[in-house]
Amino acid sequence: MLRQKTLEETKASARRASGNSASAAFYNNPNIRAIFYQILLVFGLGYFFYSIISNVLGNMEATGIKTGFNFLGASAGYDVLMSLISFESTDTYGRIFVVGFLNTLLVSGIGIFFATILGFIFGVAHFSHNLLIRKLALIYIEIFRNIPLLLQVFFWYFAVLSALPGARDSLSLGEAIFLNVRGLYLPKMVGGDLFWIAEVALGLAIAGIFVLRRWAKKRQDDTGKQFPVLNTSIAMVIGLPILALLLTGLPFEVEYPALKGFNYFGGITIIPELMALAIALSVYTGAFIAEAVRAGVQAIPNGQTEAARSIGLKEKKIMQLIIVPQAMRVIVPLLNSEYQSLVKNSTLAAAIGYPDLFNVFVGTALNQTGQAIETIFMTIIVYFAVNMLISFLMNRFNNAVALVSR
Amino acid sequence: MKEFQPLPARPAPVKTVGAVAWMRENLFSSIPNTLTSLALLAALIYFIPPIIDWAFISANWTGTTEDACVKEGACWVFVNAWSYQFFYGTYPAEEIWRINAMIVLLLIVIAASFTLPKHYRLKVSIAGWLALPVIGVAVLYGGFAGLDVVSTDLWGGFTLNVFMAAASIIVAFPFSFLWALGRRSQMPFIRSISVIFIEFFRGVPVLSLFFMGSVMLPLFFAEGTNVDKLVRVWLVLIFFMSGYMAEVFRGGFAAVPSGQYEAADSVGLSYWQKILLIILPQVIKISMPNILATFVMLFKNTTFLLIIGIPEVVQTLQSALSNSYWLGGHALEGYLFVFFVFWVSCFSMSLLASRIERQMNTEKRD
Repeated sequence: MLRQKTLEETKASARRASGNSASAAFYNNPNIRAIFYQILLVFGLGYFFYSIISNVLGNMEATGIKTGFNFLGASAGYDVLMSLISFESTDTYGRIFVVGFLNTLLVSGIGIFFATILGFIFGVAHFSHNLLIRKLALIYIEIFRNIPLLLQVFFWYFAVLSALPGARDSLSLGEAIFLNVRGLYLPKMVGGDLFWIAEVALGLAIAGIFVLRRWAKKRQDDTGKQFPVLNTSIAMVIGLPILALLLTGLPFEVEYPALKGFNYFGGITIIPELMALAIALSVYTGAFIAEAVRAGVQAIPNGQTEAARSIGLKEKKIMQLIIVPQAMRVIVPLLNSEYQSLVKNSTLAAAIGYPDLFNVFVGTALNQTGQAIETIFMTIIVYFAVNMLISFLMNRFNNAVALVSR
Repeated sequence: MKEFQPLPARPAPVKTVGAVAWMRENLFSSIPNTLTSLALLAALIYFIPPIIDWAFISANWTGTTEDACVKEGACWVFVNAWSYQFFYGTYPAEEIWRINAMIVLLLIVIAASFTLPKHYRLKVSIAGWLALPVIGVAVLYGGFAGLDVVSTDLWGGFTLNVFMAAASIIVAFPFSFLWALGRRSQMPFIRSISVIFIEFFRGVPVLSLFFMGSVMLPLFFAEGTNVDKLVRVWLVLIFFMSGYMAEVFRGGFAAVPSGQYEAADSVGLSYWQKILLIILPQVIKISMPNILATFVMLFKNTTFLLIIGIPEVVQTLQSALSNSYWLGGHALEGYLFVFFVFWVSCFSMSLLASRIERQMNTEKRD
């Protein structure tokens, strides 16, 4: 560090010397050159953008495309396949934007959740004592990493989900869950009058975890005694709402999907487009996350495990206290970029017609209004924002697991 | 006196050598392990034979039409009948030699950049790589020396994927190098422009870039200019790729020890001499595995061209699947075939990348 600084200083003093001495030509002065190049670049870029903007304006005038964001208030006139908020074809483009955004968040969230689970399972499986499990993990990673995601989406949509039986011969699980070519049908919980008490209990349980964690850490710092935080937290999150439901006399009904005519109605419907996209995204990104997990665990020197064994820690504790915390330092930055590419890849919804933001906005809205620049930029900004949010959260997580050097 | 005769060594206990020991070690080392092994073996025995039967034993291999598929298993006749389109799209049959010649040329350049004698390998391979896209476009498009013009509407199939990926990465190479240098530059304006460029092309979904290329880019050109759709997409791929490669190069620049920069400064090399003669060769070598990984990503992403209606291999497959003579539901066979083609190309490239990485690791250890 010190050496570098002196070098920079030498350079700077050399620069000053050459600037001051009359013998060197002024065009050999690095400072003047730097300013000159940058001014050149400014003018070049300025001209470039000027010509693009004037071309765009000219072209738009010639083809009669309107500009501005007024179209957001206009009625869209088309329906979307799936919407988390109520939507009718008379609603505005602005509302379609929100619908698409929520659908993008939904499929990305499902994808990130299952990709992480798959990735950690197969990444850890790579270090199994069992040869079969090791080889299966390797086969999974190497196959799904090396096949284009679009092909995988098509495979699940056209080759697997389209081959499912029709509504009348649905595959069913305990007469509650049905799977057919039209989608996956799940029972739905419809809350009654006192259902809010259970929701409050869930909220309390989640808040309680934070309090518990803080208390347990303080107790360990003070007395050295450990408290089973994870098990207690899980018990709280599951137990408290159930307790509340039991005390208030089970104030809910379960709505089962039922076959009426040619299809199932009631309950929660998951359309095959969403299923195919979510499966493909999870499986594809899961393979990359498994690689990241593998790299993270491999980065830990063997001596760490041996040292942990030598002080008598059990295998489970070695994993929990020695391996995972250190591996996370390598894994989290990789996870960050995998999550971001998953969100970007969810735009492949356009290929099978899942109504995500890209599909309903850059696909359909652009087609109908012709306002390419506005629609594409609005969409891009949303993806940027979501990725920045992911990056922000993962960086905070990374700071929490990062090595604190003294 | 009798000379001491040692007894011959006893064979190692049966528990520690041979197949039995191997199985004990890898499959049955503990009770849970034994149970998982048995369950997995049972699953494999249950699932594998029907798959093999479907794909090979009772599959239909010969014939030209759907009627030839009489047996229970896979109908590979479908793949066979469409293989020409899968590889070459609608490129005219009598001109196929051009594509094949370009593939051979590509392979020659690849081989040359790994096998030529060291003292002129870099120069020859750089010249070869830079000439390749120019020659490729000229020969494939034609219109000179008696070659007929083949309109880009007719280009398609897997070779189009290969062409788009190769042509974009080669052109993106010098650009990404400049962007990476810009990002390391001391000049604030140049640095911020580079950062904005790189982060934009890395942060945006590649599909929206393709839409920009096909819908927005025509608005950017002066009125009346008509740029070929494939060229517009090519431009987009070049920009996209140079954003990603710039980050790869940035890592490479950071990995070159600072002593190299200082030594080059101290012998009085100019900036460009220092970069081109001392730093760049080391950067390319260090970044080779990452460059290959980025190329694999680009290659997989060329399938996205389908969304804007360019007849690359998946698009060709989709239209083959909806062809009225082949409505027997051959989606599985078709997808498995294209899976296989992509998997072989991408997997061999990642193997190459990890081989290079291993080689470099051993060199460092010396």
